[in-house]
Amino acid sequence: MELYLIFPELVLLLCALLVIFSDLLGARKEALAGLAVLGLLIAARLAMELVGPDKGGVAFAGAIVVDDFALIFKFLFLVSTLLVVLASVEYVERFEGVAGEYYAVLLLACVGMMLMASAQEFITLYLSLELTGISLYTLTGLLRDARSSEAGIKFLLLGAVSSAVLLYGIAVLFGLTGTTSLPQMAPAVASGFQENRLPLLLATALLMAGLGFKLATVPFQMWVPDVYEGAPTPVTAFLSVASKSAGFVVVLRVFHTALGRDPLAADWAAIFAGLSLASMTLGNVVAIQQGNIKRMMGYSSIAQAGYLLVGLAVVPQSGVSGVLFFLVSYTVTNLGAFIAIIALSDKLNSDRISDYAGVWQRAPFLASGLALCLLSLTGVPPTAGFFAKLFIFNVAVQQNLLWLVVAGVLNSVVSAYFYVGVIREMFLGAPVDRTPVAVAAPVALALFLAVAGTFILGVFPGPAMSVASAAAGSLVP
Amino acid sequence: MIPLEHFLVVSGALFSLGLYTVLARRNGVLVLMGVELMLNGVTLNLVAFSVFSDPQRLVGQIFAIFVITVAAAEVALALAIILRLYRNRQTANVDQADLMRW
Amino acid sequence: MTTEQIVWSIFFSPLAAFLLICFVLRPAGAHGLAGLATIVGVAGALGASVVTFLNVLAVPGHELPLADYPWLTIGDLRLHLGLAVDSLTSVMLLVVTSVSLLVQVYSLGYMAGDTGYSRYYAYMALFTTSMLGLVLADNLLQLYVFWELVGLCSYLLIGFWFHRPAAAAAAKKAFVVTRFGDLGFLLALLALASVAGTLTINELFTEHKVAALVGASFLGVTALTWVALGLFAGAAGKSAQFPLHVWLPDAMEGPTPVSALIHAATMVAAGVYLVGRMLPLFQHAPAAMAVVASTGAVTALMAATMGLVATDIKRVMAYSTVSQLGYMMLALGLGGYVAAFFHLMNHAFFKALLFLGAGSVSHTTGTFDMRYMGGLRRAMPVTFWTVLLASLSLAGIPPLSGFWSKDEILATALAASPGLFWLAMATVLLTAFYVFRMLLLTFTGEYRGGGAAEAAANGDAAQGADAHGHGGVRLHESPSVMALPLVMLAAPAVLSGLVNLPTIPALDDFLMSRTVRETLEAHHVAFNPLLAAFSTGMALLGIALAWLVYGVKALRADSLGSALGGLPYRMLYHKYGLDFLYEKVLVGSLLYTVVCGLFAALDRYVVDGLVNGAGQLTRGLGRGLRRVETGQVQAYGLAIFLGVVVITAVAIVRG
Repeated sequence: MELYLIFPELVLLLCALLVIFSDLLGARKEALAGLAVLGLLIAARLAMELVGPDKGGVAFAGAIVVDDFALIFKFLFLVSTLLVVLASVEYVERFEGVAGEYYAVLLLACVGMMLMASAQEFITLYLSLELTGISLYTLTGLLRDARSSEAGIKFLLLGAVSSAVLLYGIAVLFGLTGTTSLPQMAPAVASGFQENRLPLLLATALLMAGLGFKLATVPFQMWVPDVYEGAPTPVTAFLSVASKSAGFVVVLRVFHTALGRDPLAADWAAIFAGLSLASMTLGNVVAIQQGNIKRMMGYSSIAQAGYLLVGLAVVPQSGVSGVLFFLVSYTVTNLGAFIAIIALSDKLNSDRISDYAGVWQRAPFLASGLALCLLSLTGVPPTAGFFAKLFIFNVAVQQNLLWLVVAGVLNSVVSAYFYVGVIREMFLGAPVDRTPVAVAAPVALALFLAVAGTFILGVFPGPAMSVASAAAGSLVP
Repeated sequence: MIPLEHFLVVSGALFSLGLYTVLARRNGVLVLMGVELMLNGVTLNLVAFSVFSDPQRLVGQIFAIFVITVAAAEVALALAIILRLYRNRQTANVDQADLMRW
Repeated sequence: MTTEQIVWSIFFSPLAAFLLICFVLRPAGAHGLAGLATIVGVAGALGASVVTFLNVLAVPGHELPLADYPWLTIGDLRLHLGLAVDSLTSVMLLVVTSVSLLVQVYSLGYMAGDTGYSRYYAYMALFTTSMLGLVLADNLLQLYVFWELVGLCSYLLIGFWFHRPAAAAAAKKAFVVTRFGDLGFLLALLALASVAGTLTINELFTEHKVAALVGASFLGVTALTWVALGLFAGAAGKSAQFPLHVWLPDAMEGPTPVSALIHAATMVAAGVYLVGRMLPLFQHAPAAMAVVASTGAVTALMAATMGLVATDIKRVMAYSTVSQLGYMMLALGLGGYVAAFFHLMNHAFFKALLFLGAGSVSHTTGTFDMRYMGGLRRAMPVTFWTVLLASLSLAGIPPLSGFWSKDEILATALAASPGLFWLAMATVLLTAFYVFRMLLLTFTGEYRGGGAAEAAANGDAAQGADAHGHGGVRLHESPSVMALPLVMLAAPAVLSGLVNLPTIPALDDFLMSRTVRETLEAHHVAFNPLLAAFSTGMALLGIALAWLVYGVKALRADSLGSALGGLPYRMLYHKYGLDFLYEKVLVGSLLYTVVCGLFAALDRYVVDGLVNGAGQLTRGLGRGLRRVETGQVQAYGLAIFLGVVVITAVAIVRG
């Protein structure tokens, strides 16, 4: 049996059920979090077993593939979920009795994403996408207040529409090629390009729209600010990194495997270049105007999606490795920022940037960690974000996409304005009251891990870069 | 036998009607019905393609069943959230859910 | 220790101080030891720099062979972590560590009792580390990393007194404006990596790399020119060259020792260092060289005129710094490699001294506004005499250090471009004038009340926190920890010119290390006694004019026997002559007001306007675009639908 290839997912599924039952039996919230952490660690350990030559493979009649490319994402999802679980130990107090469900659904979302990373066939892909999606809608609407419900319904309705659009694209591709398997689709797409050009382009556009929703790229980004603002903060953190990575794993897999041959590849690369420019510009420019930090981070995540798409505007393997390294550094950086925001917003009981004034004096560790992560998002060395941008821009320069690089660098200047604005508020503002903000140990640990990752990737990006290149090699030979 | 094009036209029409409903109706429940219509359009597409391209393997039909199942789960969740929205705001109209904007 | 370990210790010694303060002293609450830690760390770096300097001096070719370590690989581009030490580096190391050490000692007195004492020293240690890392880097990426870190430290230090809104705003302005320049730097890096395939500095100078860079072109201009312009944009941001100079005067909101170290002696010199370091590349791009030279000359002149009207003593210094950096850029643009670095070194010493002197003055008077100073010569003899020496050096009076290097620059300009030469010459006059205006307003005449008077004039009780002096109560010399660095800086400010006398061009020989000698066309300009005499005459003229305007005016206000003593008695006697002069000065001052007003207006409305305008445009755009996000879920759905339509249309049209 090839079942061992999905052991990590199965363990997590089991763990999610255990969390729900323990909750029913009246386990304490801390115990539930511990159980979730344990499950994630075991899953990660099992996933480690799949690393290495000849360890992975294809399972379930080609529906699931475990290669380096899938594995790097699985680890990314496991780490993100782990850090989010650690960071929310205090925040769960706000869930009023549904803390168990929170952890369980979070784990289910993680399972869905890990399956997305492995899916090599459209039915599996759709199902894992919806498993993730429905879990995330649930998490978004988990608080009882009006904002959380509003964010939930907006997210759900738009998500449903976008998955209908995605399905329509899948159906067209299925009709043209007679298969739902990505590798089998590739030759049929390539050979049928001349006679079926219009339906193929329509299908590509539909796939872009359906998946662009997950990536949060313009013009499918509209849900992002509202949902980020209204969702419980740990869920926002999870959305901003894991959900985006999950979008990218699917986009990379689908476009490079099924639609990766010229001349169609040149078409979608050019469109992604345009979307990239629009996303980074809109995200950065509007972020300047925001007064709510979660909403600002929402626009920031749109902008970061724009930088990431630079790697999709480049067809060769180097583009994929650029995206992978960027996603790794973006994940640790953005999570770091959000962990600090979760703790600060919870204690300050506000998401207003102006209420962050002088928090440096009240919570030096949180403020310094947040500042470092924001600098990394700006792209200031020596942080992960600097090399992420450098690599991805370098790839684009090699491919003569100079205009996009100039726009990207210009955008990162603009982004300095609002990222540094928050830092300025925290370090140079005058605090209203000076009572120190206490940080729970798991939250501090999570922040420390994320910040250390941001810093290490910013000083010695070499090893991570070679891992990214190897993983890209397994997707695009 | 009815040619494939007819199925494609009907499914396209269903999808578009659904999209129109989603964009135009205010009541959240009706919007949800629009989403269902869109999904039904897709489902019809899948089945028609399957029948015409490879009648033996039933891939499209299987896909269709999954889509229907997922849609049911989605609707259940959506109704729950709409209910909560109604409790908070005393309305089920999605256009009044605009606490967060800009 | 091996030579290499010594070089590394230059970098790690202040870094250790920084880490010690952050992770041991501050958590332990031993804030008072922070100053000591930084001083020891920087002193260690200075010691190692001296040893390294001697090592470099002893090696033929003046380059130390150092190992480098694989860092990362991007595609075909292999990067190494490594240090490069040649004669230029060793001189920069000496300048940075020695000025830094004196500033740290001075800060013991200046920052005593400040609530952010240990934070201040932590930033200072980090800054020194970054600056040393910048100077030591053997490849451009490493240099860029430290370049940004230096900028970050500058941000933290300008905004050090964060409770003042002006400080916070200035910090952000500095950060954002310099990042505009860094945009060019980063693009240049990417272009170099893609065309030349390496970022190691010395490898870039090899013939086939240069040929590759000259061979490739973009928009009809060679890649090399683009690269040079990009690097210069970065340098212009950091070295406050027109039109990116707008941040430096505002940066004076930081503590004065910070201004002395960062915004006078070291960080702002980083831009000059970068252009100079890359000069073997720049020389193959004549267009870029012309841009560098003319930007330098224009900056020098413009900043000097603005120095004439500033009333804040630190702003006078800031404009002066911008102006002097313009000189260095001018020299580099004309190929005057040695002249530029000779001036950089001299300037670092006398300008640091001037800043520390200004700090000392404000420490006593409680204000930075020269209109409320005056008559401090008696009360602060050490400050007065040291500042006088530095001012003479800045004005270019022989045989002080500034004279020799400025003269080399002028000679280079005369040989290359008469137009730029006259701009530079006009700047000499203005420089002498504004620096003596500062000197006379501050130290002569009668004391005009200091911070108390300023507060009264402004009608508010809130005083600048930097000016925590004793306004008007009792004037006194600053404590010896502050006075001592002044005296110690005065020595190089006077003497550092001697290292490159026309007859014994020691620095000239030393700076032309093997690589530079092989790759750079030497521009050696012989000493010209006539020119030297002329420029000295101009400087003296400037001083005389300043004296007539400010010295004499002070006399008129005073009665006999006041601060200026018996000397002016004779001048008073020639009352008519004075009236005549006053008329002259009045007419002159009209011209003066118009010209300077014009430049100030240009600066405020055009340059500042462009910089701010770009910001406002972006913000306006943001205000408009955020309205797209209406909060209506159905509008969002419509956007998805339209997105699909547009993408399909574009895809079809494209193919």
